[in-house]
Formats: sequence, C-alpha cells, structure tokens
Amino acid sequence: MKKTLLVSLAAGASVFILCQSLAAIPAFARKHGFNCNMCHTAYPKLNDFGQRFRDNGYQIPGQSGREKTVFESSIPLAVRTTAGHSLDKSKPGTTAGFGLYGLDLLAAGVLHKNISFLFVYTPRIDEPAADYRGQENGTNPAQTAAIESASLVFSNLIGEKLNLRIGRFEPDYHLFSSKRPYYIMQPYEIYAFAPGGNPFVFADNQIGIEASGRFKPGLKYGLGLINGTGGVPDNNTGKDVYITLSKTFGKGDGQTAGQRLGIFGYFGRQPTDLTDTVVGATGETNGRDNKSFYRVGGNLSLNWKMVNLQVLVLKGSDDKAFNAIDPSRDYSFWGGFVQFDWAALANNRLVASLLYNWLEPPDYDRPNRVTGFSALLRYYLGSWTAVNIAVHAEYTHRTLGVDNPLKDDVFTLLLDFDF
Amino acid sequence: MKGKKWMMFLPIGLLLVGWGVSLAGGDEKPPPITQVNAQLLGPQRLGPLPPVVTPPNNPQSSAKILLGKQLYFDTRLSKDSTISCATCHNPALGWSDEGPTSKGIAGQMGGRRAPPVSNAAYSPLQFWDGRSPSLEDQAKGPIQNPIEMGNTHQAMIRTVADIPGYVEEFKRVFGEGPITVQQVADAIAAFERTVVTTDSRFDRYARGDHDALTRLEKQGLEIFNGKGHCTACHWGPYFSDGRFHNLGVPARDPKNPDQGRYAVTKNPRDMGAFKTPTVRDASLRAPYLHDGSEKTLESLIDFYDRGGGNDANLDPLMVPLGLTRLEKKALVAFIKALVSLNPEVAAIQPVPESELPK
Repeated sequence: MKKTLLVSLAAGASVFILCQSLAAIPAFARKHGFNCNMCHTAYPKLNDFGQRFRDNGYQIPGQSGREKTVFESSIPLAVRTTAGHSLDKSKPGTTAGFGLYGLDLLAAGVLHKNISFLFVYTPRIDEPAADYRGQENGTNPAQTAAIESASLVFSNLIGEKLNLRIGRFEPDYHLFSSKRPYYIMQPYEIYAFAPGGNPFVFADNQIGIEASGRFKPGLKYGLGLINGTGGVPDNNTGKDVYITLSKTFGKGDGQTAGQRLGIFGYFGRQPTDLTDTVVGATGETNGRDNKSFYRVGGNLSLNWKMVNLQVLVLKGSDDKAFNAIDPSRDYSFWGGFVQFDWAALANNRLVASLLYNWLEPPDYDRPNRVTGFSALLRYYLGSWTAVNIAVHAEYTHRTLGVDNPLKDDVFTLLLDFDF
Repeated sequence: MKGKKWMMFLPIGLLLVGWGVSLAGGDEKPPPITQVNAQLLGPQRLGPLPPVVTPPNNPQSSAKILLGKQLYFDTRLSKDSTISCATCHNPALGWSDEGPTSKGIAGQMGGRRAPPVSNAAYSPLQFWDGRSPSLEDQAKGPIQNPIEMGNTHQAMIRTVADIPGYVEEFKRVFGEGPITVQQVADAIAAFERTVVTTDSRFDRYARGDHDALTRLEKQGLEIFNGKGHCTACHWGPYFSDGRFHNLGVPARDPKNPDQGRYAVTKNPRDMGAFKTPTVRDASLRAPYLHDGSEKTLESLIDFYDRGGGNDANLDPLMVPLGLTRLEKKALVAFIKALVSLNPEVAAIQPVPESELPK
C-alpha cells in the first residue's frame, strides 16, 4: 500500500514537473522593439520593470493608452519551447532520452487603453519513452493540453490602486512565479503539493477574479475570489478567497532591486462528496459536504547588485475530511524553498542558481516528506529583440520519504527558446 | 442557487464598471500613424531618423533657411545685442551650451539647461516642460524671456525692420508686407529643421553595416535596449519618447523646486517631470539632465543605475539597474557612437557678424 502510494505520488510529481508551463512573452518585445532583458532579469524571470509592466496591464509602467493596441501592432503571438536531454537516475532505475519538455503558445496585448489580455495554451505532448511499458494511448503525456491562462485585465481603475484580472490567471499569491522560474525540471515542491482529496494545487493558475494594486511607497496588495480548482470546472457553490500583501523597502519591486517582504493567506472550501451531484439540466455539478482548508505563508526577496535571494515558507492545513491517511485529524503540513540567483556577464547573459526545496508533512505521512537540492546554469546565446535562446543545464537531487526513501538525481541539458 | 446567480452577475458587473471607468473622460481615439505623431503610439524600434516632416504652413526654401540661419546667429534679436539663439544652442557644444544651466542677458542664470536644437524637429513638444507645440512657437519664447534675450517682440521686430538687409531678405522669402514675429519664428524654425543628424555609426550599423560598431558598442546597444532600460524612454529613431518623466533629480532650491511639466498641465502626476531629451549627439553636450547636475556621461549612468533620485513622484520607470562597470563602459561607448557624422551639419558655422545683414 505504502509502495503504491509512493509510486503514485512520484508519478504525480513527475507529471506536474513535466507539465509546468513557462511563460515569457516575446510578443511584447516585438511590439516595443525591446530586447528581453527590458522585462526579464534573464527570461523568464521578471525584473522590476517587467513586474510593473505586468501590473500595469501589459502597458509601459506609469503610462496607459499611449501605445499601440493589438490592432495596430505586429501579430501578438509567441511560442516558447524547451527541448533537450534528460538523465534521471533513481533507485528503481535510470531513464535517459531526448525530450520536448514544454511548449507554450502565447497571445497577449493591449485591446484598448487599460484593457489587455493574456492567453496561454499548452498543447498536449504525447511523447512516451521508447521503453515505456505503461498504459497505451498517451496516458503519460509530457504535457497535458490546457488553456493555462485566458484573462482580461482592466488596469488603473482607481489609478494604480486598483486593477482587475478576470478569467484564468496566475494569482498574485505567487510572489515567486510558478510560471516564470528559471528551473524547468524542478518545481517549487510546496507549490506542487496537493495532499489527499483536496483538488486545490497552490501552483495552479486559477479561474476567478482578482483585484490588485499598489500604494506608495512600495506597498502592494492582491485580493481574489476564485474556484480553487485550477482549470477544472467549478465543483461547488462556495468560492475560495485569498489576500496577499507585500512591502518593498527601497526602490524597485523586490524582483531585482529593493528588499521585499510579503505575506499571503488562502482560505478555501472544497467538496468532499461529488457523487450524484448533478444539479443542472446541462450537467452542472455541485459537490457536497464542503470542507475548509487554508494556506498561509510569508516570503522574502533580498537583492544586492545582481544577486537575488528568495525565501518562501508556507503552512497548509486541510480539514480531516480530506485526510485519507488519518481521517480523525486535520492534515497539516509546511514547507518552502530558498533560492539564490546570480546574474552575470554583460546584459545578464549567464545565470547561476541554487534552490533548496523542503516539504514537511505530518509525522504519520513520512513517505511524503521531500527535500531537494537543485542547481542550474543558463547561458543566453543572444539577447535579441523578441528572440531568445538559452542553453540550460539543471541538476536536482531529490529525496522523497524518510524510511526507505526514494532518491532521484536528474541531470538535464536543454535548449530553451522563445520567439 | 441564489448565491450562484449572484456570482454570475458579479464579473459582468465588474466588467461594466471596468469599461465605464476606463473609458470615462476619454473619448481619446488613437491618433493615426504618421511620422509626426509616431511618438504618441508608444515605443518604437531604434533606427535611423526618417526625413523631417515640414508643417504645411511653413514650407522650407533655401532663402528661408538662410534667413533663419542669420537670425539664429544674430545677437541683435536680444535686448542688449549680446545674446543670440546660438549663445545657448551652440553648434560647437552639441547645439547646447557649457551649462550647467544657461546664461542669459546681463549674466543672468536660467534654471534649466539649454535643450539641444539638433534634431529638435522630431520632438513633438518643445522646451523641457513641453509648453510649446512647435519649433515655430518655441522660437518666439526666448526672445521675450527676461532671463534669456530680455527683449520684447515689438522691440525685436523694430530692430530687424531697421536693418535694410533683413528687410530685403524677408521680402524675398515672405513677400511684401511688414515683418512679423511669426515670420522671424518661421525662418528660424526652417533653419532648425536642417539641423538633423541622420548619420552616425549607429545609423550605419542599423542600415546593415555590421562593422560600423565595435564589439563594446554593440554590447552597449544591447544593454541600452535591455538591462539598462534606456529605451523605456529613449526609444525610436529620435531616441526619445517625447514624454515627461520625474527622475528624482534633487531640487536646487528645495523650497522652490522646479515644477517641470506640472507648470503647463497642472496635473499632479507631472510634478517635477521633464521631457526626455534625445541621446543622439549626447556625448557632445555634457553636463546632463534638465539642470545640468550630472557632469559626465559616466556620472549620469551612475545616477540611472541607482534608480534616479528620491522624489514622491518618481517615475515608475526608474528602478535600480544593477549595472556592472563593464556594462556602464559599454553604454558610454554606445552613446558615443551616436555622434553625428553628417558633414552638412558639421559644416554649419556661426555666421560672422560681418556677414549678417546690414
């Protein structure tokens, strides 16, 4: 039983790992004639300008209605993909091979003064290894098809104090984006962790509405009302809410300059019973027996020259009804990550990073305990307008479980390019 | 169920509110794409300058350009015949002056640095605060500014009209009739429209000569358009967005700070904001910023690298950049590659007093 659980968790984790989508939007660079480092410390990680550009509804920070709309500019489409070789050495065996580790099709732009959109589609990639002996019909796709983002942004409704994002989007509680990390193979474990029967995954983009804005000096907020089921249709009448606050000391937004401190809280309810719950003529469902859960945490981003240290700690607790291991107790866990990034060479052509992930489930769920050390080097072959190519080398040593742990060593060398 | 219906209407309501608020007060239609107002359409690619657009009501002619040149270098337009346009907009000093701010009539010091005349034809608005919509309008201003040329338009016209050589030339250019301030301004603007620097090593590189820039200069270009965030404001062929930004330049007199664009618009967001100057030929005209407070290109880049100064109204484009010493060096090298190689502009010499109309 324990072994089955371990295998299924590992499989789940690897699907997530392979499915995590990575966003960078060369359509904007093409429109403005900028090169990628205008918005990215080194793509895909946003710098302060890029963060403000995103916050301002994909308009130049501090300005709105004074640039081309999608109807006047070049076609607002972009593609990002990662292809390369990965070697995974783990206890059961070694797998190695060339693979396509992600493909994003992006469209984004300004529709009208202070109205913009982002659309990201990740097509399904069926690419089972030659020696795959599992189920047929591509049940282990390297990437599942999804509309990862489809959102409208209404900016500057009350100056920069109020912006609305509606649709499916990356919520503001991801102060360290799960969609724009340097790491391609290794996610933030605490973002990816989804214990028991709770469908909520912290890393997921969510469907709903979010208000966000900034107050001088350096104070930002985000407030959202969402389904909490990722891209899956809603399954209950209740909505999840979240709030996030951050304060940046000094100039900048804490991405590449300034020292940022943030807190967040997510409070949700999800059904524990989905059987026989059709409530609408066209098959709408509403789950029953909604039970609550929460995620709270804090984060810190420290900058010095081109060094950035990111720390995130998250504590989660799910109602005991979600707890398949011990239904008499709420399932509480905590974890986080520490990431150290350094950008070097002219125009940040080289990025080096170290990442430590940890996930501490309750004592009675020791097989889910995770620790992971990762390191990467990225070298950008060019920093041209709207085209970017990076050679990406990544290594992760990951330990899952405590007694008889599953140890993984993953080496990956790939090309990451977008245009 | 009731709750669900309410939820359905919430986003629709918010959408409507969003549209309403965002459209409120704004019948603003996007302007048509023309060379004249290209700046209004947001960031453009860096590249060679297009031909200058001449306003229909002030067509160019060689006679008008010559007349404008003579007026530009003629100190008799000022009250005490000591100051000409060229005193502060000196071709030998990058069409600006030594600074840090400009010296006007009777040794009076202005509060701002002289903006360059070169390529001013591409600027949608003139003066650091953009109070003037055209070169023609701008040319009238300094003549009657008490600190600059200290004259009145009437007195200046009387002076010009008393010089037979000018009378003859105005007649040739504008036809019969009394000389007017508008004609003086039109002639000066016509001359200024010839001071365009369309050829630099950068322009040659942009036109396809890949050897026109050194490796360091190319690196500088990459940083200029990337990590340095320079093109966030200094974009397009003119290397300027023609807009106004508060860089947090410390006020010389904190009790009476220069209001910049706010003095024109009365919009609080414009407090302390000044027009983005072109970077073309910038290396020829130190010191920098609207008050000439940064003495060298190096110190100017250091200023930007720190994210500008401190001001409650600091432009959100200003963030610390984290530039390395090499990156700063590359930026300076690139900016120096923007120096004009146009022989016709280099050949523009001050008109000697002896050659001015008598």
